[in-house]
Amino acid sequence: MTLVRIAVLVVTCFITFKFVLLPIRVEGISMEPTYHTGQVNFINRLAYLHHEPQRGDIVSVRLAGDSIMFMKRIIGLPGETVSFHEGQTFINGQPLDEPYVKNPCSWEAGPFVCSANEYYVVGDNRNMPFKFHTQGRAERERIVGKLFL
Amino acid sequence: MKLVSRLVLLAAVITLGWWLWGVCFPSVEKVVAKRMASLAKTVSFSADAGNVTRLAKASDFPGYFSVDAEISVDDPELGVHTLSGRDEIRDAGNGGFAVLPGLKVTFLDTTVTVGPDKQVADVSCTLRVVVGNDKDYGVQEMHFQLKKIDGDWLITRAETVKTLR
Repeated sequence: MTLVRIAVLVVTCFITFKFVLLPIRVEGISMEPTYHTGQVNFINRLAYLHHEPQRGDIVSVRLAGDSIMFMKRIIGLPGETVSFHEGQTFINGQPLDEPYVKNPCSWEAGPFVCSANEYYVVGDNRNMPFKFHTQGRAERERIVGKLFL
Repeated sequence: MKLVSRLVLLAAVITLGWWLWGVCFPSVEKVVAKRMASLAKTVSFSADAGNVTRLAKASDFPGYFSVDAEISVDDPELGVHTLSGRDEIRDAGNGGFAVLPGLKVTFLDTTVTVGPDKQVADVSCTLRVVVGNDKDYGVQEMHFQLKKIDGDWLITRAETVKTLR
């Protein structure tokens, strides 16, 4: 009976951590101060089962697979135009309130137009030159899930 | 009990046979993936690697590419940079092996798609690079095209993929 319980537990853990909550370790400074290097978190793969990603969501964007993923915040939705002027983010020409951005910057970039299948993602740490900050338009199918914690 | 033992034994024999079959007659996908892993091993060297090791790796490196191979790298800072032909790739490799303090290259999430004639293959993967003893690493999504030439799988094209456009 104990063996059966252990087997059930193992299978449950496998399914949960493989297909529902994907464990990740944060690396890099892109999402500071919201998330720091070394923090452990989970990606909720089922977050977008019933609705599409929303602005402000922190999501993981896969590269070739899910061994290494980008962790970014969605600021631009499909069809929207994103631009940065004197560090302020603009969506369709309107300033976007971003209380999570603690480090001021002077980014000048854009406009970037998201197609019907693209989301504009960027890190919270804007305290680095624009060209050194990995960001841009991510196709919907690359968004693996939403950060759980 | 005897039946259970026999079933377990049968399952073990089938598993062993299946594994042996895979080892003796690997699929084209496995052969290509192995080739990519071999490339990663060839271009990786530790910081304390001597000149002989570096020279040996530098001479092996171009052998993974076809004569007319092309490498296209789209760098956010430097723009698109292209190496055309095995000679240019060799020169770039020689420079890298001579100058870099050390290099550890890994191909992650490798997906191999073989053409219907089994003579060409596409490889998608994430390249993970550590230079020297650096704690940080770089990642880049990559796409390779390989062709079977004279029995060897050679890279005909390698290019960076823009994950975020």
